[in-house]
Amino acid sequence: MLTVTNLSKTYGKQAAVDDISFHLDGGEVVGLLGPNGAGKSTTMKCIVGLLRKTTGEITIGGYDHLSVEAKKFFSYIPETPYVYDLLTIWEHMQFIAQAYGVRDWQPRAKELLELYELDDKEKKLGRDLSKGMRQKVSICCALLPDPQLLFFDEPMIGLDPKAIKNTKLLFKKLKEEGKTILVSTHLIDSVESIADRIMIMKDGKIIGNDTVENLKIQAASGDGLSLEDLFLELTKDE
Amino acid sequence: MNEVRLLLRKDLLILKNNILLIFRNPARLIPYAVMIGYFVFMYTRGITGNKISADELTTEAAGEVDFALQNVIGGVTLLALAFLIFQLYRATKNNVTFFKMADVNLLFTAPVKPENLLIYYMARSILPALGGSLFFLAYSGGQMAKDFELGVLGIVFLVLGFALFFFMVFPLRFLIYTLHTKFGIIQYIRGGIIGLGVLLVSMILIPGLMAEEFWQGMFSWIASPWFDLVPVVGWSRGMMGYFVNQNLILSSGFLFLYGLTYFTVVKLVIRYAGYYYEDVLESTKSNEEKLEKALGKREVTEDTYSLNAKKQLALPEFGVGAKAFYWRNYVHSSRQDFHPLIGVYTLGMALLGIIFAGLSNFDWFSHKVVYIYLCFMIAFYFLAGIGRASIGDLKKPWFILVPASWTSKFWNMIKLDLLQTVIFSLLLIVPSVFLAQIHVGLIVVFPLGMIFAYLVGLAVNLIPQVGLDEGWDRILIKPLMIGGIFVFGLIPSFILGMIVFAVTDQFIYGLLTMVVGLGLVASILVHVTLDILKRLEFKEI
Repeated sequence: MLTVTNLSKTYGKQAAVDDISFHLDGGEVVGLLGPNGAGKSTTMKCIVGLLRKTTGEITIGGYDHLSVEAKKFFSYIPETPYVYDLLTIWEHMQFIAQAYGVRDWQPRAKELLELYELDDKEKKLGRDLSKGMRQKVSICCALLPDPQLLFFDEPMIGLDPKAIKNTKLLFKKLKEEGKTILVSTHLIDSVESIADRIMIMKDGKIIGNDTVENLKIQAASGDGLSLEDLFLELTKDE
Repeated sequence: MNEVRLLLRKDLLILKNNILLIFRNPARLIPYAVMIGYFVFMYTRGITGNKISADELTTEAAGEVDFALQNVIGGVTLLALAFLIFQLYRATKNNVTFFKMADVNLLFTAPVKPENLLIYYMARSILPALGGSLFFLAYSGGQMAKDFELGVLGIVFLVLGFALFFFMVFPLRFLIYTLHTKFGIIQYIRGGIIGLGVLLVSMILIPGLMAEEFWQGMFSWIASPWFDLVPVVGWSRGMMGYFVNQNLILSSGFLFLYGLTYFTVVKLVIRYAGYYYEDVLESTKSNEEKLEKALGKREVTEDTYSLNAKKQLALPEFGVGAKAFYWRNYVHSSRQDFHPLIGVYTLGMALLGIIFAGLSNFDWFSHKVVYIYLCFMIAFYFLAGIGRASIGDLKKPWFILVPASWTSKFWNMIKLDLLQTVIFSLLLIVPSVFLAQIHVGLIVVFPLGMIFAYLVGLAVNLIPQVGLDEGWDRILIKPLMIGGIFVFGLIPSFILGMIVFAVTDQFIYGLLTMVVGLGLVASILVHVTLDILKRLEFKEI
């Protein structure tokens, strides 16, 4: 579904992403972990086309990631949920439905707004929403086109406990539906229970890429380390 | 094109919601109604007045050069040229954007063609320019309708000339940045723009030095009709000149040139912009932050406008309570320039004034330049007060929570600015007075004028920020408030100052009169500000 080959992104001499390669199969849920400044968001932004890659190749569903065809495959939930100040929540749904060419979108939109408890606020303008609510709108917008591949960039930031629980449940449901998900986060427990695989990034490089089970085995063999301990061990400064 | 339909529909929804929002709170319409009433009054007054004929508006009527008119035309053209060159130079530093962060998040990742988005947004960017020019025409048209026979075509060309000038700036800036990312030729472009600036300065200096008096010749080139052929600025001027020369072919020709240029620029941008999303990302984000600051949603950050942000400091405490704000400003200022009390730019400005004062001892250099420079500085500090960035401090929780009186918090917030203003004023005026042998009283009057002008500007910025709830009201009412202060406070003071100057033939007395007027306006506005600050506390609780 997603193939990243030798991806690099540099700013001057600074390499934000340093020659990384990975592949996501259809139906796989992968957590992209790493400390602040590891290059997780930059990697994700390069994949979705918000940042220009310096070198490398990225394909989504067999298409170049910048093509319109590739963009029909995925949705992106950004770290900072900006919405249109003067569009209502419902109009955001309408806008996304048009942009992605979704037909009969209303029942799906209602279902999503109910799930995120926005159904009684559908006439609220974007400017009147709190950050958490904007994040919920952002997730609803991403889910409306029913994409095959989802990119979540720090999705839990700003959400209330109920919305976090709903998002975790949603990840499970999407996984059961065979969707591919790449979740970038620095909160290990938010992906531990649902991720098939975890990639750990540090200084722009992938320093660990394995299934959760294998990483746990690795952690257990190392003097009773937890996954969190292993993560901290891998990402600590030399 | 699905994209155009999609974006058009989105913009229409936004327009609808905007209108609903305005009508939800009808009281907000009162200032706008007053504004419309004013325009209607001015227009109706204009219908009956005596009009100036086209013949009266030539710089060389009856073989004599009208220097006043020439300088007005030249001055306005110079301002437009300086604005254009500055905007083009800015394009070599950072990109212009037509987008919002919501577009970045929701549209850039959607299956839409980037070039179609760019074409739509680039074309749509004429709307603010058109709106601005209509607003300008409404503001100035009332007065113009009194003096000139505008006519429908005259109005159309005025609006288009004004709008197209501002409209063209953005595609040109986008093109410059696009060429930079595509070919890495920014050094050459920057060199070209600097060259253009040098050329402009020469076009003022050469005819100025060639003329009998510098001021008589300085604008003789850029105010002359052939300058209408200069792209963008000249074309706009030529087009707007329709109401004077009534030459439809000429004005249409300039319009055609604009159309042709716009078409070429868009073609070039589409050809070279490629996948431009990253190019606009930073500027879109920064624009969003600026808008949030303007709407009062976000405070100005510590690093805004800083020249020396990484400077390491070890400043002692200045005291407890509200003095912490003075300390904080002192730290901020230390990082903004190379010294917290007097910086490189202010030293440069003081030095320029002192040079003018020194030169005024020569016959060929007038004392008037020194006086004009002093007046310019007062106006500049008024604008500096309006643009005072740290107004966002008022919205920070600690500004409300620090246990001190509002007066003392306000005083400590502006203390450093006042100190800097006084130091700069004295640095400029004391040597100037003795070098140019002008009235010693200016040593007291000029710094007072600077302080009052700054306080008036600051209050103009602060009162709408704190006093008005709706962000857009702040943006729209601020110019109105500035207009009111000008009409009822500053202009009367200025006119009175001019009368006193004309009667006594002494700059000091004219300035003193103006400063007294400014002082009155400042004291009223500071009183209102202190009153408003109490409301801030009430609102926050």
